[in-house]
Amino acid sequence: MNGAVATVGRDLGRILEALGGLMLISLVVPIVWGEYFALPALLVSALVPLGIGWVLYRRFEGAEAPGRFHGMIVAASGWFSVGIFGSLPFLLIAWSVQLGVPGFSTPAQTATLAAFTEPLNAIFESMSGFTGTGLTMTDNEEVLPRTLQWWRTFSEWVGGVGVIVLTTAILSRPGSGSLTLYESEARSKKIHPSIVSTVRTIWWIFILFTFGSILALWLAGMPIWGAINHGMTGLATGGFSITDNSIATYDSVAIDFVLIPIMLLGSIAFPVHYLILQGDLRNFYSDLQTRWVFGYMGIGSALLWGFLYFVGPYETPFAALRYGLFQFVSAATCTGFQTAVDATNIALGRWPSYAQLTVTFGMFVGGAAGSTAGGIKLIRGLTLVKGIRHQIADVFYPESAVRRLEINNRRLNEEEASREFMEAAIIVVLWSTFLVLGTFLLLLTLPSGEYSLANVLFEVASAQGNVGLSSGITGPDSLPTIGKIAFLFHMWIGRLEIIPVLVMLRTIFKRGGVYR
Amino acid sequence: MKSRDIPVVSAVLEAGADDRVFDSLLLTGPLVIGLIVVLGRSLVTEAVAIAYIAAFVGYTLYRGVRT
Repeated sequence: MNGAVATVGRDLGRILEALGGLMLISLVVPIVWGEYFALPALLVSALVPLGIGWVLYRRFEGAEAPGRFHGMIVAASGWFSVGIFGSLPFLLIAWSVQLGVPGFSTPAQTATLAAFTEPLNAIFESMSGFTGTGLTMTDNEEVLPRTLQWWRTFSEWVGGVGVIVLTTAILSRPGSGSLTLYESEARSKKIHPSIVSTVRTIWWIFILFTFGSILALWLAGMPIWGAINHGMTGLATGGFSITDNSIATYDSVAIDFVLIPIMLLGSIAFPVHYLILQGDLRNFYSDLQTRWVFGYMGIGSALLWGFLYFVGPYETPFAALRYGLFQFVSAATCTGFQTAVDATNIALGRWPSYAQLTVTFGMFVGGAAGSTAGGIKLIRGLTLVKGIRHQIADVFYPESAVRRLEINNRRLNEEEASREFMEAAIIVVLWSTFLVLGTFLLLLTLPSGEYSLANVLFEVASAQGNVGLSSGITGPDSLPTIGKIAFLFHMWIGRLEIIPVLVMLRTIFKRGGVYR
Repeated sequence: MKSRDIPVVSAVLEAGADDRVFDSLLLTGPLVIGLIVVLGRSLVTEAVAIAYIAAFVGYTLYRGVRT
């Protein structure tokens, strides 16, 4: 066990060092924008994780190489630690403005920034960023210092790459979808020889797509600072915005429709992107998850369009298409950008319940495994559907019949099929259980009668699916403290696909003698 | 000095899809965005941005058709 502590400690140290490095890189932003008051806070924020990470790494430098067990604990504890230490820029910059920084002129304090003087709000924002959720404790993102606008964006962007690495390089196990991804990778001539080269290639693709996204948004009419931020958070399917009303602020059809392919890019497995960039375009339809990304987004959007147009509240087919398509894709890719707000049309939280539940279903299923999207992932949903059909059809065959379950061009024997089906079922059951528990908890803590069940279910699914759409519950004042803590947990388990968190908690409790 | 010896360039060339066009797009991306930041919205910067996206999409399709 001490060996495990050393291995986890060493890797956690590297993660914290990397976090400190990201904060040091971000020092460029306050210099460029002339927000010099933010420099000391950001520097101190960087030195804390850098120092702790350095000590941990040096202390456990000679630890054994990590196995899958260590990988899960490192992922769970790493994401949690990054969420905690990543809150320092929010906390320290908010207090810098609140108290003033000797030798620097500080802007007037705003209610939005003042919310981050509460450590819980700062941790919430940071966890929401690094998990790619996008739920926010800000009332008006426009008045935040550019440094914090950038830090929110950067946290989602880095978190987006982190989750691709997690699912394609660390948690590759049957049922997670990652095994399927590796097998589809194996079809190409070049197979990545190591995790390091896989991670490099993921970064390569991600950065290339980011540049394309930024330029496309700028061409659609978004100012360059907005394009940089929304291009990064859109591709990372994070959904943080730098404007008060998310994408609705621009009220632009062109921007809405340019963002849809950007969000879709983020929700397709990155190993598939790799194959497509190598010229293998067949993966758009031959890869099961990619095929279903388009199929299920199309069906969901059409259904939502029908609800919004034929039953209301939109009066023209185009308005229902514009808002229905955008909101379903935003939900199902787990991005969380919002165009349906009261400022320009009708807020999502005031859509009919069945329309909200359609969006909730999109958040529940999510995008492809191996992408930046959240939810249970398409591969699990498809494994469950195919597995159930396989089990039911089994009744009609003689006992001696040898049957195989085919998933994504892989023919699984009984044992393999049973294992993958079981793993997918476990994740879906756990996901649903925590969703129901979270809904109960929020119903108990929110003022009675203020929000409907559909609103509450929507909000919890949004947090756990790492989506970020809001029915209006999340906010520094509107969400009770217990709700904020619960949402931190939901975002954390949602990002890590639950199992690594449970493995870590079991290890901690067992070691502490609580669980035997 | 070869391009492979430059730190950032070597990292880009070693990763990714092993294709010089995509590598070039990755390396010129920050320059294009920098140009837009400095010059703002103009016919020239819009043409450069359109060319960048057209090159990316067009080349991806070209590789797909050729393969």
